[in-house]
Amino acid sequence: MKTPESSPIPDPKRFEVSRATLWFDRFMGWAICFGGIGVILAVFGIFYFIGKEVVPLFRSADVAPAGEVAQGANPAVLGVDEWGEMPFFYDGADKVVFVEVKSGQRRELVVPGLAGLEVTAFAYDTVHRRVAIGLADGRVGSFLVSYERNYTEDGNAPLEPSLVAEPWFQLENGEGPVTAISYGDSGGARVIAAKRGSGEADTVSILRLGMKKGLIGAGKLSLLGQTEISADLPAETTMLRSSQNGAMVLIACANGEVVYFMADAGGVSKRQSFRPFDGKPLRQMNFLFGGVSVVMTGADGSQEQWSLFRPEGEGERLFGETKKFDSLGEGAVLFAASQRNRTFLTGAGRELSIRHSTSGAVRWKGQADIVPVTALLDAKGAHFLIAAANGEVRRYSVHDHHPEAGWKAFFGKVWYEGGSKPVYQWQSTGGTDDFEPKLSLIPLIFGSLKGTAYALIFSIPVALLAAVFSAAYLSPDVKRVVKPTMEIMSSLPSVVLGFLAGLWLAPILEMRVPSVLMLVITLPLTALLAGYLWCRLPIGIRNRFSGGSEWLLVLPMLVLAGYAAWNFGPVLESWIFIYKDPATGKEVADFRLWWPQATGTSYEQRNSLVLGFMMGFAVIPVIFTIAEDALSNVPKNLTAAASALGANRWQVVWTVMLPVASSGIFSALMIGFGRAVGETMIMVMATGNTPLTEWNIFSGMRTLSANIAVELPEAPVGSTHYRTLFLGAVVLFAMTFVMNTIAEVLRQRLRERNKLV
Amino acid sequence: MSLSSSNTIASDASDFIRVDDFSFYYGAKQAIFNVDMAIPANQVTALIGPSGCGKSTLLRNLNRMNDLVEGVHHEGDIRIGGTSLYDPSVEVISLRKRVGMVFQKYNPFAKSIYENVIFSLRVAGRSKKSELDETVERSLRASALWDEVKDRLHDSAFGLSGGQQQRLCIARAIANQPEILLMDEPCAALDPVATLRIEELILKLKEQFTIVIVTHNMEQATRCSDRTAFLYMGKLVEYDRTMQIFENPSKPETEAYISGRFS
Repeated sequence: MKTPESSPIPDPKRFEVSRATLWFDRFMGWAICFGGIGVILAVFGIFYFIGKEVVPLFRSADVAPAGEVAQGANPAVLGVDEWGEMPFFYDGADKVVFVEVKSGQRRELVVPGLAGLEVTAFAYDTVHRRVAIGLADGRVGSFLVSYERNYTEDGNAPLEPSLVAEPWFQLENGEGPVTAISYGDSGGARVIAAKRGSGEADTVSILRLGMKKGLIGAGKLSLLGQTEISADLPAETTMLRSSQNGAMVLIACANGEVVYFMADAGGVSKRQSFRPFDGKPLRQMNFLFGGVSVVMTGADGSQEQWSLFRPEGEGERLFGETKKFDSLGEGAVLFAASQRNRTFLTGAGRELSIRHSTSGAVRWKGQADIVPVTALLDAKGAHFLIAAANGEVRRYSVHDHHPEAGWKAFFGKVWYEGGSKPVYQWQSTGGTDDFEPKLSLIPLIFGSLKGTAYALIFSIPVALLAAVFSAAYLSPDVKRVVKPTMEIMSSLPSVVLGFLAGLWLAPILEMRVPSVLMLVITLPLTALLAGYLWCRLPIGIRNRFSGGSEWLLVLPMLVLAGYAAWNFGPVLESWIFIYKDPATGKEVADFRLWWPQATGTSYEQRNSLVLGFMMGFAVIPVIFTIAEDALSNVPKNLTAAASALGANRWQVVWTVMLPVASSGIFSALMIGFGRAVGETMIMVMATGNTPLTEWNIFSGMRTLSANIAVELPEAPVGSTHYRTLFLGAVVLFAMTFVMNTIAEVLRQRLRERNKLV
Repeated sequence: MSLSSSNTIASDASDFIRVDDFSFYYGAKQAIFNVDMAIPANQVTALIGPSGCGKSTLLRNLNRMNDLVEGVHHEGDIRIGGTSLYDPSVEVISLRKRVGMVFQKYNPFAKSIYENVIFSLRVAGRSKKSELDETVERSLRASALWDEVKDRLHDSAFGLSGGQQQRLCIARAIANQPEILLMDEPCAALDPVATLRIEELILKLKEQFTIVIVTHNMEQATRCSDRTAFLYMGKLVEYDRTMQIFENPSKPETEAYISGRFS
């Protein structure tokens, strides 16, 4: 048809896009851009935050000079307040010299009751800031140095030192002056080791002290007993060391032997004698913080740590070599133990290093500009001081926030104090201040893998078979009910599942392990039997149940078989799982007792079986839903072609559906894996949270995720523990990242191989 | 199992497939109304009619592919060689081995050409190498594809052109030597050259198979079918020799349809 002549020429404006549309388009463009970049920034923000928490763990110590003082005399004893501001010096006279680092101001305080007495031996205990002294007349005693901070109105807070004398005790055995002394104090029990005389004729005594409690007041320090132990010593005594637990005394002898004595309520007894450097004499021997480990340095500068532990097969805790440190080299050995952790400052000559005993790592290494004869770490671990023979003192500030961290501590086998061999162990906090943190992430990584493995062993077969059944066999009517039900199941809060697992399921399964075993065996066999019987049925009957309604026949069989298996369990238990009490010889049919006896592994109520069972509720719906979608989305024309070629349903599934859906099924498995690895609440509540490294199905585990959930609230912000938990998060992320990357590569390959057109 | 090939020989060749007062329902909706027709052996029978007239439904009932659809039922009966498809003793899988099918959109599996052809033998559990090789060559020769693919039998089927893929699907359908070949608009997704090749193939294949073909293409029906059935609104309007239908249709609806007044 022709356009009539009269019709107007079209206005070109009507082809233009309206301004509102353009603006809206532009606005949406920016909004979407903002959203997208925001998400990326947020992800990087999380990485930044986690990285910020984790990176400091791997920094070594920072040490910087922080002042110097000159005292002018031999600093035989060097001590300092907890802030490292006012060191004091004592050299056996009747006064103590204090020098403030900042101002150089010098003060002298007279030790009460020491006037006119001849001090022949002294030793300093940094933990209590106590100077133990021995006199020429064979008396031993001590005084305490304390500091008080006085806050004045002008804003200054000068330190006010003071001295407090403690009682004297007369050594009953031996002759001559006291030539060496050592004082160990745990607060209640105390021990003093003292030597009189010298050479082969020396006499060593151990004094046990205790607080005698009166009706009123703090009680009086009194002597509980003193024992001469010279007979137990093979040679001249060179070093006396008392442990801070007030019970142990180590004595080094000139022949290189070290003898360990125990002083307890029953008296003093020799426990052990050992030769750390093949009988070569020791240059140095000192207890570490905690009082169960000693660091010893041999004549050639090699340094070893010996700790108390119960060797396998022994009943008593004895000293054994647990670690070797880098050799110190030549020169007089310095040693100063930290008063808050297992760090120590050591060195020979001018060479100094800060080391940590747990991992054996050297935290810092440096050179002093004086030749120090004594060294000291302050109570906060923020400073160390070294003093030369001429009285010159150098103060250094130390920044070492995470000495117990490091690759070896996190991922290596470490020989912890009290352990009989190097182990992977996680035990981040303890009951006492001198507890040695055990920060190996290996048990947690193992726990995560074990939890995931058991969860997936239970979930994958059920979920995949269910997905195939639903996608290829089930009639659409039933499928319409089943699929949403499974999806609802995946939205069950995991805390509810964990609660059910821990408080409901675990006690039931505990009583019925044989029943569960029977179920695991019976149900699949029943299904196979049902399939066999089905094939034997005449075609006329089979045709009546076609189209995916066969489950109506199988279900009653499964229910019956399950019921029978469940009730047969106790019978089976009474036949096979018979525990024989080794003491009485009485026999009880109890799987819980039988299992540890038969396998040597433990049986716990909250175990991997419970976990696998309950994790199924969390993981099965995820895998099922995605796998079912993948299988259902296999093009109908392919399944129809296979059917038209005479393939039965299983052949359609096996030859056509599974290959095409394989990448989707793989994704389903990976998402299931991700869910299982990151699952926290069920793990926290159902696994017992014991950081074990064994695959035993009847024991629990502690996973990285559960560990973070349980411990983060009690970890002080910025502490090594806190940062280690973040490191656990990084490891968890790395695990899933690596797994997902591998899985994605595999999935792409599968997809490439089975791609359509 | 009862549908073995022995009892088909006895039946009358002109009455090989017998559709008997057959009605078919998708749920409540009736798609086929009381169709009666007899399809002779070794001939090509074309089903024509406008979209939605029920011709594909009728075709897909000949191997009970409609069973896969939810909520269907039927009335009446279809017999092949004298045996009812709906006899309770009929195993659907055996039936489909007997009645091959080629679909509108070519749908080879994500396998090699070789594996595609022998799929029906594989699912039947036959794995003798010589038999498989022989089947592949015979089927591909029969579907006029042999010369084009004989050097790349183990390459993916997706490397073939659309027309080749459809001929591969025909080779796949005839590999297990069915008696009947159903073709549901086999050329709908192909270009004219490929279409022509398929049509030549159909003429050749009818020597061995009874072919029922659904087509929208009138020329195709005239070129390659012996008999033509015109369906309209689920009813069989006219069924006769193809010449008769196209040159001298007896019903006005038939004439209106073939002359292009509606489609």
